[in-house]
Amino acid sequence: MTLISKALVRIANSFVSVLGSLILVFCIIYLLPGDPVLSMIDPSVATPEMIENLRRELGLDQPFYVQFVEYFTAILHGDFGQSLINSDPVLPKILMHFSATLILTLTSTIFSIVIGVTLGVLSAIYRNKWIDILARLVGLFGISMPTFWSGILLILIFSVNLNWLPAMGSDDWKTLILPSLALGFVGAGLIIRMVRTSMLEVVNEQFIVTLRAKGLSERVVMYRHALRNALIPAITIIGMNIGEMMAGTVVIETVFSRQGIGRIIADAIMAKDLPVIQGVIFFSAIVYVIINLLVDLSYSVIDPRVRRSH
Amino acid sequence: MKKWPNWTKTLTVATAFLLLLAGCSNGASTSNSEDTSGKESTGGELTYALATSPDTLDPHRSGLAVSVRAFRTIFDSLVVQTADNTIQPWLATEWTVSEDGKSYTFKLREDVTFHDGTPFNAEAVKYNYDRIIDPETKAANALALIRPYKSSEVIDEYTIKINLETPSAAFLSNLSQALLGIVSPTAAKKDGDQFGKHPVGTGPYKFVSWIENADIQVEKNNDYKWAPSIVENDGAPYLDKITFKIIPEEATRIGSVQSGQVLAAETVPPQNIVSLKDDPKTQLLQVNTLGLPYTLFFNQRNKPWNDVNVRKAVQLAIDVDAIVKTLYMGTYERAWSPLSPGMLGYDESLENSVKPDLDEANKRLDELGYKKGSDGIREKDGKKLTLNYVDGSPNREKRNDIAVIIQQQLKEIGIAVDINITKDTATVIYQNADYDLYGNSQVNSDPNSLLDIYHTSDPEKEAARRMLGGGSDPELDKLLEQGTIEHEPAKREEIYKKAQQIIIEKAVIIPIYVFPYTVAASKKVNGITFDSLGYPLFNDVRIGQ
Repeated sequence: MTLISKALVRIANSFVSVLGSLILVFCIIYLLPGDPVLSMIDPSVATPEMIENLRRELGLDQPFYVQFVEYFTAILHGDFGQSLINSDPVLPKILMHFSATLILTLTSTIFSIVIGVTLGVLSAIYRNKWIDILARLVGLFGISMPTFWSGILLILIFSVNLNWLPAMGSDDWKTLILPSLALGFVGAGLIIRMVRTSMLEVVNEQFIVTLRAKGLSERVVMYRHALRNALIPAITIIGMNIGEMMAGTVVIETVFSRQGIGRIIADAIMAKDLPVIQGVIFFSAIVYVIINLLVDLSYSVIDPRVRRSH
Repeated sequence: MKKWPNWTKTLTVATAFLLLLAGCSNGASTSNSEDTSGKESTGGELTYALATSPDTLDPHRSGLAVSVRAFRTIFDSLVVQTADNTIQPWLATEWTVSEDGKSYTFKLREDVTFHDGTPFNAEAVKYNYDRIIDPETKAANALALIRPYKSSEVIDEYTIKINLETPSAAFLSNLSQALLGIVSPTAAKKDGDQFGKHPVGTGPYKFVSWIENADIQVEKNNDYKWAPSIVENDGAPYLDKITFKIIPEEATRIGSVQSGQVLAAETVPPQNIVSLKDDPKTQLLQVNTLGLPYTLFFNQRNKPWNDVNVRKAVQLAIDVDAIVKTLYMGTYERAWSPLSPGMLGYDESLENSVKPDLDEANKRLDELGYKKGSDGIREKDGKKLTLNYVDGSPNREKRNDIAVIIQQQLKEIGIAVDINITKDTATVIYQNADYDLYGNSQVNSDPNSLLDIYHTSDPEKEAARRMLGGGSDPELDKLLEQGTIEHEPAKREEIYKKAQQIIIEKAVIIPIYVFPYTVAASKKVNGITFDSLGYPLFNDVRIGQ
């Protein structure tokens, strides 16, 4: 199979994933207790009649399958509906906020790769030395610290005490640093461990011995050959991390008062604002699927064995 | 093995060290700063952090206190309530009440214009109040406040007569609330249900922009000269601009003030109140809100909580002082009554009237036939004495922790407490009434607000939304009905004092704390004041150099 036909099959699969996620979310929201109509108006002043009218207006009095079919027909026509809370059209709202979240996800990913790969490599090379122990500690911290906590710590240190960086907002690049660090640590923790483990495996392989025997410098052996081989499993982790980080923005955007899709969906879930939840899930699913696709395809680029096996 | 370049190692170590630093510091130290109390000036921008985002900036459609904090800058009301609960002129200069108490005639100021140039007059007022009762508007809390409004008659350009269905002693006080603020008829007609996104009023500041989840900006209204008597500055505000930033995470909100990124932030958690008092750069403003304090309601629909003796036993076993002191470190005041101190008719005699007495509580339960089992929990007729304590999420003002302490305290007298934390109080409490004890608080201006909570509910209302408590007491009903129509303040006070005494005597509720509104502000900021309800006013604010 060529690269292109492989990509096409993957894209077809991806489409099914997106559809599946939409159906799943629709069912979950439908089954959740609580009444979106009651969260829209204050029931202490609304008459039962008003509540009924509103429910009819929104089509929420229809049976499950009718709501379901109507929703999907609309989406196929590119109509994501309006927010139940403030009647904002969903699509422009998401498009407006999505870029902020993507940028945060991207910078966090870069942070996690830089910190993760550097520490992972050093820790493998200086195995059982103090730098290795330190790197593993950092990795453990990254994995086990909840982001809201590390986020608050970063604010206390770099905003309140040192006054170097802003604590909140999404105005300029400076506001990106602390949230990206907080979010990036999580990914970095995983990458450190993954890179370290696979570096240690690769270093013991025979081709490394051959390379050394050929008289290549240690730096070339490590960077050009060992690292490249060790990165393959790390890429899988990085791909998965991007998804994790998008999910993590729900917390981080709230902690740092940033604009973005994470905060939109957190608010929407609280209010059971179905059209907004659906819209965000739809776009997140698409991004997730694209990233997975890229990760899959990148194996073929990095590892000739994968390319040849097809 | 060949050496790695030195800089990689240094960089890595430095990064790792920073991470460790992040893990260890507690951020407690504060740097000393120069003395900032200096000359005052006009102009400048105030940044003010809000804890949550407003739902809308349309006062008639909003249901959130946080919205009021923003739109009090944009909208004025006909009258204003002062700290001693008297009603003073604002957009109305004078008024008369008819003999039967069912109609009010207001003379209006003639020099007022809306931000969009629309003249303020009797037609505008009529449009506003009619708009609130129009079902199309989908008014929420404003609708509850304006009741029993019936109609408005324009007498001449600056005179309006407002007719009520029934007399209401709370009407003027309710009119003073920002939720009944006056909006521009031109803008409201043009924008319909989108008016809340670009509001237009007559207030000291004009709306500029609202970026969702980021900020709301308002700018100085240069034509403003109709400020209420509760602020010093009669004219246009000193500030050029206010930016309300929306910062939900409390540590970030307070941290932003300490780092100077914003000048003021609302809703300071108790642990920060204590530490901010020693902060040389920051001042702490605190005001008790008016209305109903945070109060735990027994669900009297459920046995045995319909029995006054069982409720009394719980009242005697709960040590409210201990709860408030432990959780709020002396920053919150304990509540004693169903009303907050400062409300018209607040009964001071209730203070210190209830003291914890475990022996008495045990005695009462013994007498009722509740016997302690082997696990220390009482039971009667094979049923354990269990209390289903429902509380909301997130853990607002440590309310979940109150539940935990009460669980321990009630264990002492053999009552098992099941704590259920839920996000969905709309369903659990107001739809299914599935609880034995549940807490709530309310900001309000008139003791008539007791009527909606403590009066026996009528079946129609109950079908739409279950009332808190759900009890019925004919004597209390009668008092609350009298309070609604009695116009003589002294007599009203007497009526509400009796009502409060009955509520506490029959242990209908356990009042816990008076809800304070707190603001942490840079010492550069002067002149933030509060209205009688505890909402901030920005007419007098100046920013020092």
